[in-house]
Amino acid sequence: MKDLLRIKSLISTEIESLLNQQVKKEAHSSSIYLSMASWCNRNGYDYSSEYFFKQAEEERQHQLKFYKYILDMGGNAISPDVTDIKQEYNSFREVFEEALDQEISVTRSISNIYARCLSTQDFVTMEFLNWFLKEQREEEYKARRALELFEVIGEEGTGRWQIDKHVGGIKYDSEA
Amino acid sequence: MTVTATLPQVSEVFATKHGCVQQDDAQRRWLVEFAGRTASFDHRNLMKLRKAVYAIDIEQRLLEGAHGPDVEIIFICASEHCYVLSLLQVIAIKDLLEGAFVMLELNQIIHNRLYRAYA
Ligand SMILES: [Fe+2]
Ligand SMILES: [Fe+2]
Repeated sequence: MKDLLRIKSLISTEIESLLNQQVKKEAHSSSIYLSMASWCNRNGYDYSSEYFFKQAEEERQHQLKFYKYILDMGGNAISPDVTDIKQEYNSFREVFEEALDQEISVTRSISNIYARCLSTQDFVTMEFLNWFLKEQREEEYKARRALELFEVIGEEGTGRWQIDKHVGGIKYDSEA
Repeated sequence: MTVTATLPQVSEVFATKHGCVQQDDAQRRWLVEFAGRTASFDHRNLMKLRKAVYAIDIEQRLLEGAHGPDVEIIFICASEHCYVLSLLQVIAIKDLLEGAFVMLELNQIIHNRLYRAYA
């Protein structure tokens, strides 16, 4: 009996559903960042708001990368429902703490897919995921750096204003 | 004049006492024998059938009992097939499809292993 499933699709149904879950996760990230951009804007942190708008756009691009990969490999990409987006934060700092939590959970879930690819010898998807692993390095770095600003600048006095200004300048440029 | 006859290359994927799924290698299609008829599905429509059947919440239907509808209509977009099934038949076709997909995935594993063994 021919392997007809393989003829139709490069990826297994298991990997396909994991990738669809990731599509949802990226869409969720994008929405969270959008809500953070709104909160920051409403509270006078314009640079941070701008920073989160950019992050939201990046997450949308990540979502599309996964989405198109699933389709290109012959799978069925599922447009996700995005619900339960937190709209209010208790403090400026809390926004960045949650941004880092979000990135850590994304790194974990991509690693998890990578592990499944390895055990099923799906090297093609592993190669595709490499880009995301590198991207997560940058994402976590930026989120950590933002939180670090709260430590080195301090929130007293005009601290938060200073932090906001510096968030706009966070960059990651590693050659490695 | 050359006559190319395609020999039927049909193998059984999975069968239960209520039905059976066969694979036609030459046509690249699956034949689903269920509810008194045989319907042929290509990959896309087989996936749609699976999705439609798996989406039925059997437990919920059982809870609804007499209040709910007694038949389930499975309509597959862009396919000529449509099933009108009782709840028991829904359970049976779900069983059949689950078994068939386990076998298809097993077949994939075997193909991968064989290839690795010869490579
Ligand atoms: Fe992302
Ligand atoms: Fe991210």
